[in-house]
Amino acid sequence: MKVAYFSPMPPEQSGIADYSALLVPALRSRVELEVVRRGRTRAPKGVDLCVYHIGNNPGAHGWIVDALRRTPGLVVLHDFVLHHLVAGITIGRRDGHGYLDAMEREAGVVGRLLAHGVLDKRIPPLWENRPEDFPLAGEILSRASGLIVHSQYVMQRARAAGYVGPIWRIPHPAFHVPEPMPAGLEGAPLVGAFGNVNMSKRVPQLLEAFSALRRSHPGARLLLVGAVSPGFDLDRRLQRLGLGDEGMHREGWVDEARLWSLMAACDIHVNLRSPTMGETSGTTIRALSLGKPLVVSDAGWFGELPDGVALKVPVGADERPTLVAALELLATRADVREAMGAAARQLAQADHGLDRVADRYLAAFEHAAGGPAVDDTVLREVSEAAAGVGVAPDSDEAREIARRLAEVDLGG
Amino acid sequence: MRIAVCRPQVPFARGGAEIFTDELVDELRARGHDADLVTIPFKWYPGARVLTQAFLWRLLDLSESDGRRVDMVVPTKFPSYLVRHEEKRVWLVHQFRQAYELDGTPLGQFSDTLEDRAVRRQVQELDRVSLGEATRLFATSQNVAGRLERSTGLHAEVLPHPPQQLDYRNDGDGGYVLSASRLDRAKRIDLLLEAASLEPGLELVIASDGPDRERLEGIARDRGIADRVRFAGRVSPDELAGLYAGCLATYYAPVDEDFGMGPYESFLSEKPVVTATDAGGPLDVVHDRRTGLVVEPDPPALAGALRWLREHRDEAASYGRAGKALAAEVTWDHAIARLLS
Repeated sequence: MKVAYFSPMPPEQSGIADYSALLVPALRSRVELEVVRRGRTRAPKGVDLCVYHIGNNPGAHGWIVDALRRTPGLVVLHDFVLHHLVAGITIGRRDGHGYLDAMEREAGVVGRLLAHGVLDKRIPPLWENRPEDFPLAGEILSRASGLIVHSQYVMQRARAAGYVGPIWRIPHPAFHVPEPMPAGLEGAPLVGAFGNVNMSKRVPQLLEAFSALRRSHPGARLLLVGAVSPGFDLDRRLQRLGLGDEGMHREGWVDEARLWSLMAACDIHVNLRSPTMGETSGTTIRALSLGKPLVVSDAGWFGELPDGVALKVPVGADERPTLVAALELLATRADVREAMGAAARQLAQADHGLDRVADRYLAAFEHAAGGPAVDDTVLREVSEAAAGVGVAPDSDEAREIARRLAEVDLGG
Repeated sequence: MRIAVCRPQVPFARGGAEIFTDELVDELRARGHDADLVTIPFKWYPGARVLTQAFLWRLLDLSESDGRRVDMVVPTKFPSYLVRHEEKRVWLVHQFRQAYELDGTPLGQFSDTLEDRAVRRQVQELDRVSLGEATRLFATSQNVAGRLERSTGLHAEVLPHPPQQLDYRNDGDGGYVLSASRLDRAKRIDLLLEAASLEPGLELVIASDGPDRERLEGIARDRGIADRVRFAGRVSPDELAGLYAGCLATYYAPVDEDFGMGPYESFLSEKPVVTATDAGGPLDVVHDRRTGLVVEPDPPALAGALRWLREHRDEAASYGRAGKALAAEVTWDHAIARLLS
């Protein structure tokens, strides 16, 4: 089997590029796989299956959508909410009508009217303040012959959106941990938060909770690593909470080696998220690989992490007190940190092990490439047998047979 | 309790699974249960036929029979466990091995075509769904349970079953090594013949029959050992018990066997078993230098083991007795109590 693989790849700075860099060598040991050059939208000749990695970043994935439009195939859906992607490949390409159509497809006439409001600058861009209400995944789903997702959450969202094709849930592979030398940062404990610094990472809530933690643990230090998103006034917030250098260490975007080093230095990792776009967090997977205890939001993929590896914080009214309590528990109890860290490492090696993930990809590839022909054969044989004994196509008996086939995922 | 034991049928073929399920029904009846065997012919080729034939099990309604409730179904091997029932206790003999560890080997079935690859995956999906429905999941050996866990993530309790009922006894050491496996390539009887050619004076009795017989007889002739090897063909239960009773040891070294009743039959006759390190299920009970000998699957290693047993008859007999103590623990009383608990 020959597979064409459409994905951002390093040196692009994207979590999905890192993901593919990790996965591709393992896939190549199992199947003939061609990584398609960025920008090429025609499927290479002689391929049996095209695989498209779709995320919410139009710069990284716009050309991949163009390729999917030419040749349907298996879609690896990294985010369910694709509003930013769709806006980028419509409005961003001066195709306002495309955006209107996408919004109408999603939400009918109301959606179209809202899109007009956006185009006319009468209302703020929906991809900035309400993307989760309008995921705009419809076109991608309609062109996908099958889906690979990383979470139950995205699987359910896709089904709820009416997707009836096959879906495989395959965990994000664990990263190879390069035995990093932990950065020499003080902190008792050192609490790390990695990724863009913004509202959806719940940084305000984290800062407030950490400030409360410092009152009972004056030696605690927060390590905040990542670029500050436009419009997020981090300095003012730190000043208001009295978080100076003593309690806080800041770094912007860091390279791979520095990232591992900083992550390895932390005693506790916090990765909060709301709203979620259905994404998986590469930094959370790295923390699991390092065997670090986690505090995460009880939302989307994060909420599906086993309780043994992550303390989950509800989004909403109880968020701050629960977050403070979680940090207090982990700051106080080294035994809990150790137990959670061991469970995290075990989870990374088992469910997220690269070989296991690659095997599951291969299974999905083989299903997707040959499955439709097999479905046709099964349906033909069963329907011929049924017709041969007088079962009419729209009879109760035929419906019973169809139910039984669906129960065991036979016949498509 | 009304219990339906479910087993696919391969017309005109009979092996360990057939003996096991027939005896299970008898033993359930002997304990006052209303048990019966449900079978459907199974043909697993060509192409997607394995799926449509398997699907026949899904169409069965075994919730009741003749107006009376069926309390439990006990499916045993692929595809019988596709059957639907609210109390489905699978006692797994094996999955469809061509879709798993035999794939890509000479014993496999699926080619590299896209359709064959997808059929194989669909068989795996059938397993995942239908075995996942089981209310209890047992496997006849650690080997079967391990394969299941690796392939589906499902955990099965290991529940071995006793071998067929024969007049097991020990009539002393008649000096020959017995193989009672069906004559097909996976049983590796050719390995035994090659070893015998390296061990002068060693006598073999090859009981049973099968598609590999002609080739095996040819090997015996070519190696010049035909006068030391007796191909007894299919023998009666009494004859088989007599062959076990009089041998020095038995040979049982299939490739990655599911369970294997052979060692239990041998042990109940107080005879040690020689097997191979890659034999699978038999390794649950054949322990090196405790109940037999476990060697690498090559003729010199096997010849060495057989020579050692001939030269150490007391140890051979003690291994046989240790095996009997182990096999005696595997009883129908115990197995059925766990199955129905």
